[in-house]
Amino acid sequence: MLVLSRQRDESIMIGDSIVVTIVDIRGDKVRLGINAPAEIPVHRQEVYEAIQRENLRAASLDPAETQSLGGMTARRGGSEQPSSKQQPR
Amino acid sequence: MRINTTRFGRIDVDAADLLTFPSGLPGLEHCREWALLADADNDALGWLQSTARGDVAIAVVSPRRFVPHYQVRIPRSELTPLRLHDIRQAQLVVIVGKNATGLTLNLKAPIVINLEERTGRQVVASGDLPMAHQLDPNPTALKKSA
Repeated sequence: MLVLSRQRDESIMIGDSIVVTIVDIRGDKVRLGINAPAEIPVHRQEVYEAIQRENLRAASLDPAETQSLGGMTARRGGSEQPSSKQQPR
Repeated sequence: MRINTTRFGRIDVDAADLLTFPSGLPGLEHCREWALLADADNDALGWLQSTARGDVAIAVVSPRRFVPHYQVRIPRSELTPLRLHDIRQAQLVVIVGKNATGLTLNLKAPIVINLEERTGRQVVASGDLPMAHQLDPNPTALKKSA
């Protein structure tokens, strides 16, 4: 891991398109500003890792395990616009 | 295009129907192209089938059919990569997972699809939402309280 010391308002460049700026330092909490291209997602690491774990868990689901979904649909008063789905053509 | 899938056998999809996820999905970053299939038995359920990996498919549902009051706030920075200015231009689905108790829905990180451009990505919604909202396998229990 590369370790750099920065003070408030100083920045770090990652590659040629990502800039991380120390916006504020208060006690043991640091506020970081991140400038990155829109196509690069930026997340708190623990959130990203939790999503990864959930996705991999979901990717192990088999259609047989989803049978019970049919009985779980919430009862609704009016009609709901169906979500669009594609049949393979 | 023909995909040999482990769940659905060999399927043919029109290239124009495919969805492109420029960043893949967290944990499946290399799966950039997906076909959205309807489940044969359950009209509430769709399957995102990876075109590159026949063994990779993700069950998705329209969240409000299972969580009627589900509301999301999605930061604009999460929508910009899809060239969406407004969440209402998008199709929003959530991923079905499972834990020891049963099926769950990832309400914290829904999938947003730009139907016009056939692109999508998984976004992180603001606020305290569960990543594994437990689905009640016995919703009829609610009827007994009348």
